[in-house]
Amino acid sequence: MLLCCRKSACSIFIAVSLGFSEYASALDLGFEDWQLHGFVSQGYILSSNYNFFGHSQSGGSFDFTEIGTNIRGHITPELLVAAQGLYRSTGGSDQENFRLDFANLDYHSDIDKQTTIGVRLGRVKNPFGLYNETRDVVWTRPGVFVPQSVYFDALALRQPMISSDGGLFYGRYSVGDHALTAEMVISEPLDSAGGATEFLTGIPKVKGTMGGRPMFLGRAGYEWQEGRFKVLFSVVDLDRDFKSATPNVKSGNVKAFYPLASVQLNLEKWSFTSEYGRVTTKRSGFTPGGQVFENTSESFYVQAQYRFMSDLSGLLRYDNFVANVNDRDGKNLAALTGLPKHSFYTRDLAVGVRWEFAQDWLLTSEYHSIWGTALLSGIDNPNLSQKTEPEHWDMFGVMMSFRF
Amino acid sequence: MQSYFRIFGIYLAVTAWTLIGSVLISSPTLALADDSTIVPFSLNKQYNKFTREDLREIFFGRRTQWPDGSPLRVYVLPDQNSVHIRFTKEILGIYPYQLRSAWDRMIYSGTGVPPVVVDSIEQMKMNIQQVPGAIGYIEK
Repeated sequence: MLLCCRKSACSIFIAVSLGFSEYASALDLGFEDWQLHGFVSQGYILSSNYNFFGHSQSGGSFDFTEIGTNIRGHITPELLVAAQGLYRSTGGSDQENFRLDFANLDYHSDIDKQTTIGVRLGRVKNPFGLYNETRDVVWTRPGVFVPQSVYFDALALRQPMISSDGGLFYGRYSVGDHALTAEMVISEPLDSAGGATEFLTGIPKVKGTMGGRPMFLGRAGYEWQEGRFKVLFSVVDLDRDFKSATPNVKSGNVKAFYPLASVQLNLEKWSFTSEYGRVTTKRSGFTPGGQVFENTSESFYVQAQYRFMSDLSGLLRYDNFVANVNDRDGKNLAALTGLPKHSFYTRDLAVGVRWEFAQDWLLTSEYHSIWGTALLSGIDNPNLSQKTEPEHWDMFGVMMSFRF
Repeated sequence: MQSYFRIFGIYLAVTAWTLIGSVLISSPTLALADDSTIVPFSLNKQYNKFTREDLREIFFGRRTQWPDGSPLRVYVLPDQNSVHIRFTKEILGIYPYQLRSAWDRMIYSGTGVPPVVVDSIEQMKMNIQQVPGAIGYIEK
């Protein structure tokens, strides 16, 4: 039955694709402004000593797949409907497979020529930093991966970061080349899925549910000449009650506060980007003795992109993460936990190329030289706690994508 | 003998004028090709004056209706098309990749409907003539 449904869905999909193939990039559904878009991305990763997205050592891993289809259209000029289904698989760090990525109703109103306000309801993408909303689509990423220090792809924190169920209010005010933007989300975070509960409590294999206060998330920014220069300030504020379903683990509370500053300069050939943020977590109740455990981590990267041609560009990035700002080399935490020092930081130097070798086809590749293991998935790496494993490791990644 | 010179003279004159004439006749078209402008194009008679701000709102996909409330339908040429590149640089005053990046964000985050990409300027003209509320650009 399931197979049959899948088969018929597939054949409809193929029929639709072929039927509209003459339109190549935009599948105009022929009804008002309704459009259907999609993408299929497949990656390959080869690494030394540690695994990233599946078993990527010796021989490499193809366990890096992202497939999405989305549909959108206006019911009236002010009322937009849009939804995207996403299949994603990245080894042990993402085993959710198919998910509803977003499904929202968006109403906007132009107050005057300069000012627009709007509201978006449903499952909305979380506006956070420069890349969060479209992080699972390689076409909108700077390369194979988003900067890991800020976006945490291999950690379960990514699940509540991506989208959430609730409402988003937004506004835009522009005068000439200058524009101010603001977005505010109040929503139920997706923190019961994909190991997010384990990650937020910090207890491996813990069972239980998250509840309590909704998530607050905001982003405000200024842009000049449609983003030739832009600054953004984002913040997410999470305050969740954990109800334990594990014997010997008490219920408790997790608070997470993540402010992030982003800046980007887009010139004709060059783009320069940097983001800096700190995540402060406060855990209580389920902690030893029930006391409050507070920790602040630090994330930043600097990135340069150079466009050799409109369809060929190069990337250079330095990405830096420390698990605790008061223990940058991990010495104290290592002594306290018995884990290796290098499991409390990550320094990642990356070079890459991005080539749109035909219309709607993309090939991108990156080489990373990495010190530290703080941003690795424990599921993909059972050896993380072993002190005999090295601090430095290498990773090569390539991804090919087709979109319509 | 003199008549031969006369015929030769007429021949020279005709050749010279043909050459001069062809240069003169073709020169305006050559000059036009160099000085051609890309202009926004729609059949809406009522609203046909656009500021750069208006055009940015429309082509970035943020403005979705004409001043009378009827829906806007925006058409563009492919990213690599020279007319498209000139339109974004000369008329919108931005780089083409800025538009692409904004449209991709809309597509993959469910926040708007980007313009429809058509293959040729002929197809764009055809769409603008057939689709109510359509706007695009042409080379003049």
